[in-house]
Amino acid sequence: MKTVIETKNLYKTYTETEVEVKAVNGIDLSFAEGEFAAIVGPSGCGKTTLLNLLGGLDEPTSGSVIIDGTDISTLSSRQMIDFRMNNIGFVFQAYNLIPVLTARENAEFIMHLQNRPKAEREARITELFKAIGIEGKEDIRPSRLSGGQQQRVAVARALASKPKFILADEPTANLDSHATTELLDIMRKLNEEENVTFIFATHDQRVIDRAKRVVYLEDGKVIRDKTEK
Amino acid sequence: MNLRIAWRNIWRNKKRTLITISSITLAVVMAVFTRSFQEGTYAKMIENAVGKFTGYVQVHQKDYWDDKTIDNGIEVNDTLVREILSVKNVEGVNLRLESFSLASFGNSTKGTLVMGIDPEKETQMLDLKAKMIKGNYIRPGDRSIILGSKLADYLKIDVGDTLVLLGQGHWGQSAIGAFPVKGILKMPAPDIDRQIVFMPLMLAREFFSFENGVTSLVVISEESDQAQKITDAINASIDTTQYKAITWQEMSPEMLQQIEGDKVGGIFMIAILYMIIAFGVFGTVLMMTEERKREFAVMVAIGMQKTKLMLVSFYETILMNSIGIILGVIITVPLIIYFNIYPIEMSGEAAESIEKLGVEPVLPTILRLSIFINNIIIILVITGISSIYPLISLLRLKVIRSLRR
Repeated sequence: MKTVIETKNLYKTYTETEVEVKAVNGIDLSFAEGEFAAIVGPSGCGKTTLLNLLGGLDEPTSGSVIIDGTDISTLSSRQMIDFRMNNIGFVFQAYNLIPVLTARENAEFIMHLQNRPKAEREARITELFKAIGIEGKEDIRPSRLSGGQQQRVAVARALASKPKFILADEPTANLDSHATTELLDIMRKLNEEENVTFIFATHDQRVIDRAKRVVYLEDGKVIRDKTEK
Repeated sequence: MNLRIAWRNIWRNKKRTLITISSITLAVVMAVFTRSFQEGTYAKMIENAVGKFTGYVQVHQKDYWDDKTIDNGIEVNDTLVREILSVKNVEGVNLRLESFSLASFGNSTKGTLVMGIDPEKETQMLDLKAKMIKGNYIRPGDRSIILGSKLADYLKIDVGDTLVLLGQGHWGQSAIGAFPVKGILKMPAPDIDRQIVFMPLMLAREFFSFENGVTSLVVISEESDQAQKITDAINASIDTTQYKAITWQEMSPEMLQQIEGDKVGGIFMIAILYMIIAFGVFGTVLMMTEERKREFAVMVAIGMQKTKLMLVSFYETILMNSIGIILGVIITVPLIIYFNIYPIEMSGEAAESIEKLGVEPVLPTILRLSIFINNIIIILVITGISSIYPLISLLRLKVIRSLRR
């Protein structure tokens, strides 16, 4: 399978306090197309930092992140933003939908940024809303949706532009078990149907149980990398 | 999409947005209304004392304005009048012969300004017919006079009575005459109303023993704001070794000074108002930016360029300004029109001080597009400046730090 993302000897050291913290300590990882992987570990092990580095939201102290053949450290800040828009989908713990936009407008937001034609946007959003099971709520603003529904819209937003992979940081942390199960079902289904790579940072056992691959981190290092057979 | 987000964003905190819009509206109303009153009052002053009396440009014998005696008058000739009329925007020339005389009736005596005029031509300029309150207006061949109502009251003279004038004519000749009062008029400028006597030009020339004499050639032009250009053009075409054209600003320097002084005071007050508004808008835009940093960080994370975010924030400022400005204009225009038609009448000491300048003690407004445009531009500029810092803070947005907020 084609590798979509790869890290080489990746380090991220924080020197903001007197004590130097190696949040990511020499990680070499690669994720292939269509993977459904979870990065797990105790709090402070470097999950979120690794995810931020993979998404180009943070810069490594050393090492490189290569996405679909592009070393993202060579990109300027503007180029990185465009690169994220075209290649990476994000799902955040707190949903982070734009409160003044409706569910549909939130989902098609990235496609707007990409200047995709209206017909294409409408077709894609209709397809995704059907897949995530919130048809009929397209014109509702996030504040009137439940947490689970908001997170499903966030997934639709992440998937709308058909990115190479999706980074999801604790996507189920604010959801009850029913909403978590539904969301994971949807993501797994989309992973299989659209062959899009999902990478989670999580310590939610329900997510870990559904992942096809689990990468265990401790003190910024990969201590175990287990793939479902 | 950016505009839609901006529009919806400004209504997220309705109370705050309404307060900001109200402050902008108030700024427009206060600034435009104050300036309209100021400019309306100045226009009234200029119109009373200049436009409807001295005119915006006059031509005299070159020393006349420094030493206003009848001996510095000129014997007018067709060449001079033609040269003045040849200048662009000059529509006519009114000839006047004026000097001071003592007026007497019964036991009352008062110093007066006797002005010989062409009664028909001056209809356009002084518009004396409309100011008649008693009796009839004079005609060119009449041997009678009309005088100001305050002067008539002082002398206790009425239409049909005879006024005795005693003065000095051309080259030291005596000027003595008795003239029937044909009418009484009310001049808008009280100072003038208190001392003016009008008589036909031919009669004045006879009274002052000055054949073909005039002291002033009043230039008629609709382009009052072109006074300086017209004056320069006239001076370029007449014989300046004998004659000189001057503007109303030179003729009435006290008024110009009064206007300039008052204008500075008014502008200072408005500047303070603008400063308050600027800080208000700055506070709002800064709050709107700070409280949404996490949201902005998400937008940048998913692929929105910071410059686009700045554009959204800029649209928000523009939208709030536009609503405030439009509301301000909607409120101000009828107010200005009302106070233009029904000006505030002053009373007491303020009225007296205005009257001393020869101006009606009323405060009219003036509906002038430039006042609106200037103030709107100023408000846009200061609110634009107020939003620079919040915009720059967007450019410096740290995505990771803001996402953790």
